[in-house]
Amino acid sequence: MDSGGSEVILSIKDVCKSFPGVKALDKVSIDVKRAMVHGIVGENGAGKSTLMKILSGVYEKDSGTVVFDGQQIEHTTPQQSMQRGLAIIYQELNLVNTMSVGENVLLGRFREMKGMRGTHAKARELLDRIGSKIGTTRLVSELSVSEKQMVEIAKALSFESKLIIMDEPSSSLTAEEMCELVKIIQQLKDQGISIIYISHKLDEIFEFCDNVSVMRDGRVIDTKPKSEFTRNELIMQMVGREIENEYPERPQRVGEVLMEVRSINTRKLHDVSFSLHKGEILGFVGLVGAGRTEIVRALFGADRVRGHQVLIEGKPTPILNPRDAIGAGFGFIPEDRKLQGLVLPFSVESNISMASFRKFTRLGFLRKSIEKEIGTRQVKALSVKTPSTKVPVVNLSGGNQQKCIVGRWLEISPSILIMDEPTKGIDVGAKYEIYMLMKDIAERGGAIILISSELPEVLNMSNRVLTVFEGRITGEFDPKVTSADKIMSAALGFDGECS
Amino acid sequence: MTVQGTNSAIRVGASILRDYLVLVMIAALVALTALIEPKFLSPENLTNIMFQFGPLMMVALGTTFVIIGGFIDLSIAGTINLVAVVTISLIQPMGQVPALLTGLATGTVCGALNSVLILSSGALTQAEALFMTFGLSTVYSAIALLYSHGSTMHFWDITASKSIFQAIGSGSLGFLSWSFVIFLISLAALWVFQEMTAEGRAVRLTGGNKTAARLAGVRISRSIVVIYAIGGFMAALGAIVLFSRVTTASPVIGVGYETNAILAVVVGGTTLKGGKGSVLRTVMGVLLVVLMSNCLNLLGVSTYLQVVAEGAILTFAIWLDNRKHM
Repeated sequence: MDSGGSEVILSIKDVCKSFPGVKALDKVSIDVKRAMVHGIVGENGAGKSTLMKILSGVYEKDSGTVVFDGQQIEHTTPQQSMQRGLAIIYQELNLVNTMSVGENVLLGRFREMKGMRGTHAKARELLDRIGSKIGTTRLVSELSVSEKQMVEIAKALSFESKLIIMDEPSSSLTAEEMCELVKIIQQLKDQGISIIYISHKLDEIFEFCDNVSVMRDGRVIDTKPKSEFTRNELIMQMVGREIENEYPERPQRVGEVLMEVRSINTRKLHDVSFSLHKGEILGFVGLVGAGRTEIVRALFGADRVRGHQVLIEGKPTPILNPRDAIGAGFGFIPEDRKLQGLVLPFSVESNISMASFRKFTRLGFLRKSIEKEIGTRQVKALSVKTPSTKVPVVNLSGGNQQKCIVGRWLEISPSILIMDEPTKGIDVGAKYEIYMLMKDIAERGGAIILISSELPEVLNMSNRVLTVFEGRITGEFDPKVTSADKIMSAALGFDGECS
Repeated sequence: MTVQGTNSAIRVGASILRDYLVLVMIAALVALTALIEPKFLSPENLTNIMFQFGPLMMVALGTTFVIIGGFIDLSIAGTINLVAVVTISLIQPMGQVPALLTGLATGTVCGALNSVLILSSGALTQAEALFMTFGLSTVYSAIALLYSHGSTMHFWDITASKSIFQAIGSGSLGFLSWSFVIFLISLAALWVFQEMTAEGRAVRLTGGNKTAARLAGVRISRSIVVIYAIGGFMAALGAIVLFSRVTTASPVIGVGYETNAILAVVVGGTTLKGGKGSVLRTVMGVLLVVLMSNCLNLLGVSTYLQVVAEGAILTFAIWLDNRKHM
């Protein structure tokens, strides 16, 4: 690429970075042009995050050069990068929940803004620039995820950023919120700001990126204008092999009723009743916060809920805590892998064996050889990429971490597996593997409850879909014959007739 | 590449050094003191040290599990006070064996009570446990004061047989003091619990991530009761070793033990963040704390300065612990 020097805002050349035992980046070179959206795609562990952390100054590169805005960057810190005009918006947003929007936008610069009034005035101006109407005095804890993202963007603008890096910004946005974000990205572009957009979602890449770089195994495989890529080519370059379909066929052997749930009532849920069949994948569709997670948490005994009835194969089964649930044949993959799923500093093996104590203890004593067998078996069965089962699970990539949790439950072969956002932050290749696992579990007679914010995922995987709106079940659909629009409008609380 | 190689070698070296800093410090301390004050290595002083570390060792071994489980126990001082006055007062009316057993039971109940109150209040963070057990410490101490009417009880007032306590206090089995034998047995039992039992693993998982552990079916409530009960039992054992050695029990005998125990655990390298650590590390931590006070005594450093040193080391150890887990 030999574009004029001034047109390139960020030039990364031959950057290498190694961690003990892994070469995370191998001679990575990328040029990002002014006022363009540059997409970076790649599987987890491809090196995207490492590269971003080097740009922001969290990590130090081993070799290579980074030139930002005509200036060579060495030994930088996150603060310095921000001040230079390079802002990063991380997937897990960095905001102070107990402070107002205005204070967050101009965090740490209260004095420069000459107090509260100046802070709010400046914050208003910045939010207006991206056409956001969030009140600057609102508390961040009250905002939705997308509103929080707006606040982050306003914060980035406050530093006169010339380049904003967005790390998987869409992973927790609904479709509408996504449209909003696309509009804002367009506006930022018009204002001369460049954007690096990291995502797993190919639709987004094709929707609004100008150039795309594909990363795999710490290398940049290809950088081209979007128009020169086809969808299949992109997927192939990402995973290094051809994937014909994004989703496998739905499970085929739906049998008789396995479980009946009668009237779950809490402050958020109202008279939630449904049934689950053997060999079925049952999808829950709804907005973030509609109560999908609360339903499965109540079912699993994770939250203190009383008064509902659960019948498994016709037999009333009281579930007061997760232990009861596991005893009754449940498995649960929680939505937040790191906070609720894993014990991050512990080994792959002990994370996998966590739910199957019974198998490897005798008279209260651990039998470590059997535990090791369990770990090795699941790592092999799910092809978890890890140097050994003794490695802390925190060192694994997102997809491999998720596989460890799946393995934990497969080990006790649950008859009902609850999966809350099972593919969040996971790359295409690992996603497909998880889908295959789901199909496999269902076809061997298990049943799966699937929650996902990715509508295509729920619609393509589920045998039956329930829509949830404001704590109520508002509809039941067969996704094979119902249009996505119709299901979505039920999930948004519209009457079937109105839309 | 070679620069990188050396760099990573240095980094690995630094982390090993940081992990076993205590051992280095112990060695340095022993060498330095022996050099300045040859009396340090005399048989009398070594015996002295062996008796000295008994009580703190028991208490700190118990505290280790509370901390591995992700919690903290400040009620230890109160527990020691209560167990000491209760046990000594019961030797005369009940005989020494029932008194001993009642004392151990009292400590265990105090510990378990901590956990029951913590669990029933739903306070599941370390900070909440800190305040709760701090409050309970004053309760246990106050009960000790009420029970003993504030007076100190002495061995010489007891006419009944008290041979067990005398043996614990000053008796020896060959060249090992009885208190050292008790320490070895406790250490072995606790190490087996820590490394080889399912409950030991559950404690670790609870300390590593309570939410994840619970959702995977680990009985975290039971683990919390177990760690506090062990903490209370070991505090009781510590109390008994302590008053047997000094042959008197006052209702303020345990003051300072809770902070010293936490000091020893953290200095040993068990993280306050929970999940990781070991009773073996605690042994090193206790050794360092006791050796340091012994050295400073021999060198004639004032007690006030000794307290400053202890505080400084605790702060440094926690600072280092935080840096390590950044």
